[in-house]
Amino acid sequence: MLILYRITKMAWRYRTRLIVAYVSFCCAIGFSLLIPIVFGKSIDRLVDYTPDGGVIGNEVAVATLALLALAILGLAVGQGIFDFLRTYSTDSLSQIVSYDFRNALYDKLQHLSFAYHDKEHTGDLMSKATSDIEAVRRFVAMGLVRSLEVAVRLVAFTSYLFFLNWELTLISLGCVPFLVFRATLVTTRLRYMWLRVQQVMGQSVTVLQENLVGIHVVKAFASEEYEKRKFEAKAQELRNEYYRSERLQGTNSAWMTFYFNLALGLIIWYGGWEVVRGDLSPGELTTFVLFLSQLAFPVRMLSFIINSFSRAVTSGQRLFEILDMPSPVQEKEEAEDMGRARGIVHFQDLSFSYDPQTPALKNVNIAAEPGQVTAILGAPGSGKSTIINLLPRFYDPTQGRITVDGRDIRDFTLESLRHNIGMVQQDVFLFGATIRDNIAYGSTDASHDDVVAAAKVAQLHDHIMSLPDGYDTFVGERGATLSGGQRQRMSIARTILLDPPILILDDSTSSVDVETERLIHDAMTNVMKGRTTFVIAHRLSTVREADQIVVLNDGEVVEQGTHAELMAHRGIYWNIYELQLRPQEEMLLDAALASDRGGDA
Amino acid sequence: MLGSGGIGGGGGFSGPMGGVRGLQTAGLYAASLDNLTDDNIVGKVYDNRVVTRLLTYVKSFKKQAFVTICAVLLYTLGNVFIPYLAKEGIEAVSQSDVRLIHTVGIIFLAVVLAHFGSNYLQMVFMPKVGQGVLYLLRTQMFNHLQSLSPAFFHRTEVGRIMSRSQSDVLQLQETFDLMVESFADLLSLFGIIAVMLFIDWQLALVCLSIVPVLLLLLVYWQKFARHSFMRIRRAVAMVNGEYNQNITGVRVVESFNRQDANLRHFDSLNREHLNANLEASKFSGGLMPVVGTLVGLGMGFGVVLVGGLFAADGLVEWAVLVSFAMYIQRFFEPIRHLTMQYSQLQRAMAAGVRIFEILDLRSEVTDRPGAPAMPPLQGHIRFEGVGFHYVPGVKVLDDINVDIKPGENVALVGSTGAGKSTMVTLIHRFADVTEGRITVDGYDIREVQRHSLVSQMSMVLQEPYLFSGTIKDNIRYSHEEASDEDVVTAAKAVGAHDFIMGLDGGYDNVLAERGVNLSVGQRQLLSFARAIVGNPRVIILDEATANIDTQTELLIQDALKRILLGRTSIVIAHRLSTVRNADKILVLDHGRLVETGNHQELLKRNGVYARLYAVNYGLHNGNWDTPGGDIPAPAPAGD
Repeated sequence: MLILYRITKMAWRYRTRLIVAYVSFCCAIGFSLLIPIVFGKSIDRLVDYTPDGGVIGNEVAVATLALLALAILGLAVGQGIFDFLRTYSTDSLSQIVSYDFRNALYDKLQHLSFAYHDKEHTGDLMSKATSDIEAVRRFVAMGLVRSLEVAVRLVAFTSYLFFLNWELTLISLGCVPFLVFRATLVTTRLRYMWLRVQQVMGQSVTVLQENLVGIHVVKAFASEEYEKRKFEAKAQELRNEYYRSERLQGTNSAWMTFYFNLALGLIIWYGGWEVVRGDLSPGELTTFVLFLSQLAFPVRMLSFIINSFSRAVTSGQRLFEILDMPSPVQEKEEAEDMGRARGIVHFQDLSFSYDPQTPALKNVNIAAEPGQVTAILGAPGSGKSTIINLLPRFYDPTQGRITVDGRDIRDFTLESLRHNIGMVQQDVFLFGATIRDNIAYGSTDASHDDVVAAAKVAQLHDHIMSLPDGYDTFVGERGATLSGGQRQRMSIARTILLDPPILILDDSTSSVDVETERLIHDAMTNVMKGRTTFVIAHRLSTVREADQIVVLNDGEVVEQGTHAELMAHRGIYWNIYELQLRPQEEMLLDAALASDRGGDA
Repeated sequence: MLGSGGIGGGGGFSGPMGGVRGLQTAGLYAASLDNLTDDNIVGKVYDNRVVTRLLTYVKSFKKQAFVTICAVLLYTLGNVFIPYLAKEGIEAVSQSDVRLIHTVGIIFLAVVLAHFGSNYLQMVFMPKVGQGVLYLLRTQMFNHLQSLSPAFFHRTEVGRIMSRSQSDVLQLQETFDLMVESFADLLSLFGIIAVMLFIDWQLALVCLSIVPVLLLLLVYWQKFARHSFMRIRRAVAMVNGEYNQNITGVRVVESFNRQDANLRHFDSLNREHLNANLEASKFSGGLMPVVGTLVGLGMGFGVVLVGGLFAADGLVEWAVLVSFAMYIQRFFEPIRHLTMQYSQLQRAMAAGVRIFEILDLRSEVTDRPGAPAMPPLQGHIRFEGVGFHYVPGVKVLDDINVDIKPGENVALVGSTGAGKSTMVTLIHRFADVTEGRITVDGYDIREVQRHSLVSQMSMVLQEPYLFSGTIKDNIRYSHEEASDEDVVTAAKAVGAHDFIMGLDGGYDNVLAERGVNLSVGQRQLLSFARAIVGNPRVIILDEATANIDTQTELLIQDALKRILLGRTSIVIAHRLSTVRNADKILVLDHGRLVETGNHQELLKRNGVYARLYAVNYGLHNGNWDTPGGDIPAPAPAGD
């Protein structure tokens, strides 16, 4: 229920709309209640009932009838206008709340640390953004407004009834305990059912999405049948879960209508008897009957309302779970703007673990100066990427600290810290936008010339110009129309444009062709000048040219120093070098000779 | 739709899935196949083709559907009959006939019970049919997608297919209930009109005279509704697209500090979404005063004034007036309901059109009827005059003749766009040859069941792709018959066992989405293990070009040698060691096979291969057309 309270609180910020909705539905109800009363009065005008001798038709003036007709018309128009006001203010309120939710969720997700995103599936987050927000929206419309409207209508109806005839009131109220009982029962049960439906839905989406994205694997292994069975099982489960919840909802609405019709029948039956006994006028009976007719729709809505409550609890919970999640990476309240750093980076006694059992980094100490290149070497899982991810605070260390220009990076705002760090990531992601926008991704204020300059350094300019739309070419979902090498260069151009004092390169030059590879290498050498650079190194040239080499093993720094020092030390690095890199060096010499002779490519 | 996709399809273009680069590049030209309707299409309110087609699915649930329809009929009848009973009751009151009152009361209760019963039955059986149909649609759609060729998936964004099989199906789900409800609404509308005419046709005509006005208004209103509905659809698509992109690219967003700019952009889309909805709400709400006025006219002038005058003249009973008042109130209920459902129905019909469009896409590669199963493979592969194109005139492969003996290891080299990937994927029938034929053990591969052929071969794509689930499930993948020991054996053979055992839960470790918790190298090893678990006779492998750290690279090289041993293999080679160890090297250039032979022979010939070798080896120490691991050949000394 706390969840509903919190949603209500979000809606309460727009209380004017809420109040307008409340006031207008009260007015609409008032008008709509008056219609049966006026109608009843008209009947009493027309009919004169004598307890023993039946009905005598009354002579009435046309003018009186016309007046009554006008009154009913006026009331109906009034009801329509207030209905409109109620609908519009309710709809707009619910839409605004869902708008707020969407913005909040969007923003929250882009501020949550990598640790969170490592665990979440895209499909699941998508369904939160769509169906869960929709469920919350429905609650605002249904739960916050319509439920009260139905309640007010019921109360107004019963009090009028009670005022007129308490016996009829008791009859019509007889079903209320049943209604309440069913409502509570169904609400709780539906909530669990919806939770299940959501879960199974998410699972089936995952199966589908993975199948589609990995369709080449499916084809390559001729595993279509296997995939079909996998999906069919999920679809079957989904069908059952949906069916269960739909049936409960449907039968519940059948019960509601039943209670309602039962009350109608009892009122006519008993009320008719009362009229015959002379305790009730025909007009009053008519009023009752019409009242009940008016209730038909709200009663049918009751089951929707109940449904909206249970769905809102489930969905709200899923949403608030994210919205409340403290990002493991928090900005201090008194965090300062870093400005442009010089780029002196120290990793001091750094330890980190993704989960408590397995430490990913143990007591790492590295010092890097501006203009220096630090190469990080090690087996997969040795902690190379982890170190790199700690610097821009995608994760926070469990122990120790990182300083930039002598100050703990946690003293600065995340934004200013990350502004000082340029990353060329292994997984190049292109946004569905033009090439220009993609290059200017981190620096929105860059001019076209800046973009072109960066693209030139990244050796991408010529290719871009060969496209019909040049820099305005649209690159789609995951940059589907660019090759791996081109995406990589795009990512390099992006970083160049940022001009950060600290540079992180991770596998940055894989899958580009021979010439481009060399040109990029040269360009990067230029870009690295004057910056503090960390490279997750795979290339001999990078390793040899680095100012310091850090060799990692199982999260620990096992060796550290320049190429010459480490070679002299004859440890792990020497081993790797002799066994794997040495032969390569000889070939590099050949290459150097060849290029001396033949000129540059 | 792919618009700019076709640009520059020259050498440099290759998609994200390296393994089918050839297919993808050329696929860009084949726009003719991708004529799916624009997703923004607005459907009709009632599309006969969609409805008839949906009904064919209902056939599988004849009994339940029959019960549903009967229940709906009974329920509607009850709806129409209840006010009539009220009238009878009141008439009994007018006549002060207490016995009649009680009789009517009892009948009333009976009707209410029957009404409830039918309503209940409807609610039990309707979702049974609805969910059943959806289940059929979902699985049929999924199954059909499996039969489409990879080229289709390259031309069509995954997001679009996803939305068709998810939101469009969901859309239909709502529709199904809606169609039944609308049917009931229409039924009760006509029922009410009939009963009103039956009770007193003159008064009924007077009261119903407002209906034509209402209909005219509704027609006029639809124009606005249509516009506003389209606006909402566009806005929803934009909001969801942006949202999805931000999740998938969140790592870039965070490292480039784009949060504020992104939020501003998203906010503008979100605001448009809001405004579109507000506009729609104004339109749908605007109907209320109109309907209100008409109800008022009907009740006031129809029933009270005209009916009152009739009653005063003794032409009608007052009970008739009461029942008319009730009917008029109930009369507008289904109309209001129908107008509210209008846009939903429209959306659903559009969704139906889109779903059936996918289902109607023809599979490009199908088994010939009565094709025999492939007997156990020897691994003898022949290309006989093979040519291939997507668009006539743009040849991807031209007159390829190759004979690969069982157990032979073949390396395929050539520059990007030469047709290497196309050539190997043709063996797996990702597409069918357009000229000549490919035989395996003498069988034309088009003449045998695809599944029986492909399940005896393996393919390793350049970028390893893993599914959610455990490591074990991923290695076993399509070979469900493989035991746990088989899985471990395969993992050991490729040197993946040790790192797997180091993970939480070992082989039962549950992978994160697409295995992002593993390194590229580890994923590569798993995909190797997956390739050999079924002990295939033929292995086709696109060597990874991505940088893999030195140790894993050595592991992979080692694994590669072992998995190729004793099998027929074709490797799209990027590493010198692979090329040098091959029994035969095929050199492709612009879709033609230009040289064949082993390393020494080809070097001597001093042709394309020798040139490639000089350029790549000289500069790149063991890496072919693309640089990657800096690992040299293990035994370079002799050269």
